[in-house]
Amino acid sequence: MTVKEFKLPDVGEGVAEGELVSWQVSPGDAVSEGDIVAEVETDKALVEVPSRYDGTVQELFAEPGDIVPVGDVIISFNVDEGAESGDAEAEAPDTEGEPGDSVDDAKTDTEEAAAAEAADTPEGRVFAPPAARKLARELGVDIAEVEGSGPGGRISESDVRAHHESAEAHDDTADETAVTPGEGGAPEAPTGAGASETVSADAGPRAERETTLAVPATRALAEELGVDIHAVPTEKTRDGEAFVEAEDVRAFAEREEEPAAEAGAEAEAGAESATAEPAREETVPYRGVRRTIGEQMATSKYTAPHVTHHDTAEIDTLVETREELKATAEEKGIRLTYMAFVLKAVVAGLKEYPILNSELDEEEGVIRLKNYYNIGIAVATDAGLMVPVVKNVDEKGLLELADEVQELATKARERSISPQEMQGGTFTITNFGAFGGEYATPIINYPETAIMGLGAIEQRPVVDDGEVVAAHTLPLSLAIDHRVIDGAEAAKFTNTVKEYLAEPTKLLL
Amino acid sequence: MVVGDVTTGTEVLVIGAGPGGYVAAIRAAQNGLDTTLVDRDAYGGACLNYGCIPSKALISATDVAHDARNATEMGVHADPVIHTDEMQEWKEGVVDQLTGGVEKLCKANGVNLMQGEATFVDDSTARIAHGGEGQGSESIEFEHAIVATGSRPIQVPGFEFEHEPIWSSRDALDVEEPPEKLVVVGAGYIGMELSTVFAKMGVDVTVVEMLDGILPGYEDDVSRPVKKRADELGIEFNFGEAASEWEETEGGVVVTTEDEDGAEYTYDADKVLVAVGRQPVSESLDPEAAGVEVDENGFVQTDDQARTNVENVFAVGDVAGEPMLAHKASKEGIVAAEVIAGEPAALDQQAIPAAVFTDPEIATVGMTEAEAEEAGFEPKVGEFPFRASGRALSTGESEGFVRIVAEQEADFVLGAQIVGPEASELIAECALAIEMGATLEDVASTVHTHPTLAEAVMEAAENANDEAIHTLNR
Repeated sequence: MTVKEFKLPDVGEGVAEGELVSWQVSPGDAVSEGDIVAEVETDKALVEVPSRYDGTVQELFAEPGDIVPVGDVIISFNVDEGAESGDAEAEAPDTEGEPGDSVDDAKTDTEEAAAAEAADTPEGRVFAPPAARKLARELGVDIAEVEGSGPGGRISESDVRAHHESAEAHDDTADETAVTPGEGGAPEAPTGAGASETVSADAGPRAERETTLAVPATRALAEELGVDIHAVPTEKTRDGEAFVEAEDVRAFAEREEEPAAEAGAEAEAGAESATAEPAREETVPYRGVRRTIGEQMATSKYTAPHVTHHDTAEIDTLVETREELKATAEEKGIRLTYMAFVLKAVVAGLKEYPILNSELDEEEGVIRLKNYYNIGIAVATDAGLMVPVVKNVDEKGLLELADEVQELATKARERSISPQEMQGGTFTITNFGAFGGEYATPIINYPETAIMGLGAIEQRPVVDDGEVVAAHTLPLSLAIDHRVIDGAEAAKFTNTVKEYLAEPTKLLL
Repeated sequence: MVVGDVTTGTEVLVIGAGPGGYVAAIRAAQNGLDTTLVDRDAYGGACLNYGCIPSKALISATDVAHDARNATEMGVHADPVIHTDEMQEWKEGVVDQLTGGVEKLCKANGVNLMQGEATFVDDSTARIAHGGEGQGSESIEFEHAIVATGSRPIQVPGFEFEHEPIWSSRDALDVEEPPEKLVVVGAGYIGMELSTVFAKMGVDVTVVEMLDGILPGYEDDVSRPVKKRADELGIEFNFGEAASEWEETEGGVVVTTEDEDGAEYTYDADKVLVAVGRQPVSESLDPEAAGVEVDENGFVQTDDQARTNVENVFAVGDVAGEPMLAHKASKEGIVAAEVIAGEPAALDQQAIPAAVFTDPEIATVGMTEAEAEEAGFEPKVGEFPFRASGRALSTGESEGFVRIVAEQEADFVLGAQIVGPEASELIAECALAIEMGATLEDVASTVHTHPTLAEAVMEAAENANDEAIHTLNR
């Protein structure tokens, strides 16, 4: 049997490190070449890392949440023909769960086994009122595991709470690891090693468990004493899992660190006052795409003095025009969007006022006016904001633009967009109106010098010849870098864009 | 999400405004979600417009006439005359009030209402074709969609509803002038409810059913009082026969049926009501365009959060599978809306009650004795006949019984079957007992008002524990 080490490959040009998002395999799992073993998030995209070997997983060298430099060993494989034997049990093929199991996703195999044992009622029928069942869902408790204290074992809300508190104790570490990757101090133990085994004190002075049941006060005590609760030996079990009490922690701490008497006394007082409150705060990692967005925004806002100019385009004609052209577009399988018209109008405006299609190069002491029109479009994705760029907008027709925008947006949302497709922009449009609202103060996509935000197209009251009438309007919010552009130019540019939107036939000229 | 149709985007698009869809839309809006509810037809769906509500209106109206006609025993002599057109007008009024109420509730909760037929373009876009000529269509982008497109009556080949003499349940409910002779194909709950309505209007009703009895799925002793009453009303039953063809005659139509051995029978009629079940409506929506899988029967498969195989698309009500009941649809609608809002909701109910508004009514919830046994329980059963109920006797309606099924070990209530007066109302207590994990003792020890029909539930629970007062314990 040969052990092969596998390094985090170069997942994209210029990417030096990635965050390990998740392992798709566990030690002992059989893998074939090409199987996905891990997901790694770089500052641009989520990348799946395939195995280069056939064999079984021997060891994982990183935890989800770790930042791993390219070239570091992240996983090792046992490469052998007979690799599949022996370890089969350690595989966890049922981690996917049933559809709809999402509430119980965190449920471990051990818990499932316990539930199966406890279920002496047929078909998992649970005698509990709806309020107790709802509470169980809220707390993430599998109600089938709760022992009922009512007549005939009927489960009350307090039973659910009691179960949750003991379960929470044993889930604590796991939860923390999930929310704050990389901070969980749990020692590495091979997955699949029967967590249901009772670890007895006789086994040795130091236990090595993956999960431990304990009340929160005991857990707090362990933390205070600097004791890893998984290392505390105990003979007691609950629901088939090792159960640690305060006295065990104290005894262990004393043995580990002889002169710890005072600390123990202090801790005892602390333990008494500790209560089992749910976490008041949670942490979410500030990494990957989120951090990239954050840094970009900060750079832009702290570098460029922003001024935002607001105006409203009246677009009844545009609404009609689009309605007319839509059918033709549909015949070609293209959904003609307003965005295509907006892109054209913006480029017409930029041609008249090139200062808005520029970049300030402070080092050289020049303002670079661009004679090409690459327009970025802000897209909200699950991972955060992305700005795909439509290149050479001035050379493309409405249909082509509509199609391209759609394709880029889809790629961005699916995170299959390439870095090239998000580079080289000269001006950006953000359509916050899709979520409602009229005006905003967008942040410039630095080093560009202007960004135009679109509100929602709606019928709004406008004054026409002294009469208030309803008309389709599109609110515009143009933010400019005042170092380069002055308010008058912003207003004139906006007026031009408005004109083209109001009379879209002008775009033909 | 961001690019595309700048005009219309919505967080939740609900397709279909029946009891699944409008409830989902209201709850979604209550949860602060930007919600759009689209329907190609009328607010309230089949339930309010062509099903539950209008049928119950006609059932109650014909009951009034029937009861008045049959109250000589009580010393009341009357000869009621039914003006079908006025009855229809009253029924329409009830329907209008309710559908108008649905519309108001939606608006008051901030739901955007849209008329039109929705078709998926992909899993984040739908096209809405507006009704009427020249109304055009528009696209709407959604973050989540709830499919609540409901069901329609199944057509029997050859007996398509476009033929004037062939009625769907919807046509039957809109009847302006009752036919003299009516053939009803199907003795399920819709066929039985409407047969009773027409018999009470004085129509000569013949029922043709492929199976060998009425109301398949119900225990024999539960459906027996209904059959008995139908016989008394003069409804003629022909079991083991399937309608095969019909043709127009001088005075009406003649329907031909065929039994298992190929023998043919014919029945004269003015109209033929086909009530052989309902099927989901999903094809106009093109669920596949959104990647939503539909099974061979047209049902959309969902999980216990009403979610389809596509993460952001949910399905509720009849289109999401049996049982096709309005209250099931509403529950699923609420769960879907709450799941979308991020709540830990799930379809975890223990039982869904069902009622048949025949004469007498049937209502059931949870398990029958046989089902409990099958599920691995040792069942314990208690019964109370309405003829032992003071209230039942004093209403002049004492047919039927309440049966309650519990499990032996801790006496948890598992199910109930009721046939008799107001069964549809009485079942609610049993449903609550099941959901609460109540025991027979809990039900028996709850003080029930005297004299009421509800006492029968308490007595049945007592009977199961051999503690009944008003019946002999068995």
